[in-house]
Amino acid sequence: MKAHRRDFLKSAAAASGVVALGAPAALGQAKPRVVVIGGGPGGATAAKYIARDSKGAVEVILVEPAKQFVTCFHSNLYLGGFKSMQEITHSYDALASKYGVQLAHQAAAAIDRDKKQVRLADGVTIGYDRLVVSPGIDLKYDSVPGWGKAHEDTMPHAWKAGPQTVLLKARLDAVPDGGVIVMIAPPNPYRCPPGPYERVSMMAHALKKAGKTKAKIVVIDPKKTFSKQGLFQEGWERHYPGMVEWMAPDIHSGLKAVDPASNTVETGFETYKHCALVNVIPAQTAGKIALDAGLADASGFCPIDPSNMRSAMDANIHVLGDASIAGDMPKSAFSANSQAKVAALMIRGELVKSPTFPARYSNTCWSLIDTDDTVKVGGRYEAKDGKIAAVETFVSKTGETPQLRKETQAENMGWYSGITADMFG
Amino acid sequence: MNQQRRLRPTRWCLPVAAAVLSSFVACVEHAAAADPAFGEYLSSECVTCHRSDGQDKGIPPIVGWPADQFVAVLQSYKTKDRTNPVMQTIAGRLSDDEMAALAAYYATLKPAN
Repeated sequence: MKAHRRDFLKSAAAASGVVALGAPAALGQAKPRVVVIGGGPGGATAAKYIARDSKGAVEVILVEPAKQFVTCFHSNLYLGGFKSMQEITHSYDALASKYGVQLAHQAAAAIDRDKKQVRLADGVTIGYDRLVVSPGIDLKYDSVPGWGKAHEDTMPHAWKAGPQTVLLKARLDAVPDGGVIVMIAPPNPYRCPPGPYERVSMMAHALKKAGKTKAKIVVIDPKKTFSKQGLFQEGWERHYPGMVEWMAPDIHSGLKAVDPASNTVETGFETYKHCALVNVIPAQTAGKIALDAGLADASGFCPIDPSNMRSAMDANIHVLGDASIAGDMPKSAFSANSQAKVAALMIRGELVKSPTFPARYSNTCWSLIDTDDTVKVGGRYEAKDGKIAAVETFVSKTGETPQLRKETQAENMGWYSGITADMFG
Repeated sequence: MNQQRRLRPTRWCLPVAAAVLSSFVACVEHAAAADPAFGEYLSSECVTCHRSDGQDKGIPPIVGWPADQFVAVLQSYKTKDRTNPVMQTIAGRLSDDEMAALAAYYATLKPAN
């Protein structure tokens, strides 16, 4: 690790020199440089694939403040007691040691698109020939009346994995039998469409396992429908009868406010006082760095060219994953990983003239409802009519056999092992 | 003279030559289609689930499979004789050439241990 850090500093110093001289690519720089902001499924995959497949012909610097990455995917399984934090935590070491990716464990403070530079939190600037922006989402702290960043320890969101996930689990485990949990579900578009409902399932599982079947989970949803709705509702009825109450906007008549001081949630329909736990999942935007760099449109997310994930705002930048507007593809780890491979191929094609092929994307989202009862939704996608369009999709069916659901759970665990090896291994 | 006679085209020899030529062309096409390098590129879609080190963590490993078997399994997903919808959608867009290239690539791999 130290060696890589030194390497990076060396390169950062070199980069600063380049910066002082002007455009890096035009000045006899030894090889083209790609800077990747964000070490999640989009960024880590892009960094690895560009470094690995260019075999040293492209310099790759990954800018990510965390030394280890906690996956948001399968963090619900931690809540349900199916996985440990250790099992969803991954090191970046192999990206450096096996593929030569240089790791800058810092936040990216700003992007200067005119100068093609990224400024890090410590003030060092790095020039780039191509920039990959994959910062994930940021939370709109002003989207839930009465709730803000100051209240995320009282009413956790746990929509970015890490300490918030551990906090939510601790709070869940402390819910007494008969206690009321309220989840404020997010409006579209947001990270992981089935995620809130898998979380409800995993919360109910943990409560049931602890014998707290009189506890109740109330979901206040701004949406009229949600991902895999029929499958989740069938599962809740079967596994957790009477424990889950999902409310559409016409039932709860709108969220009025939350009061973190008294753990109260007020809707047009009912006021829930002294809740045992309130899980606020607010509205979302692309990560702040993408907004600050002017890569987003009025929706708060970043338009891209569906044939290569290039930013519609800047030809030298690719935007991946949750931060992008990826048409019919959901904001998921699988999608980000798929998009990263397309972008990596196209970036190498431009920088070192390697062959390129038409973009093809795919996604599957598995959701665990109860032990060995897993459902999935997914599809394949192509650039069509100016967006990433679904070509063929599938979704699990209600009434499937326990054997099929068990096989789907094995697939879910296998996918996690596969994608994390693909990102970090 | 004998040599010339042997090389002289005969009535039956022309169709044979044509058949040999077309089979040669077919061979070249097949060789191009079954290019492991192209298969390696296509495999980036497989490795999200099927670990490239061949470990089985819940999804069957596919490294080191005989190429014929590899193609046959993909075809059976494409025709939907096999039921897993994830694989049906993946195989559904693979051409015969792409399947051959993938099979050629995976046949070259060995499990890590």
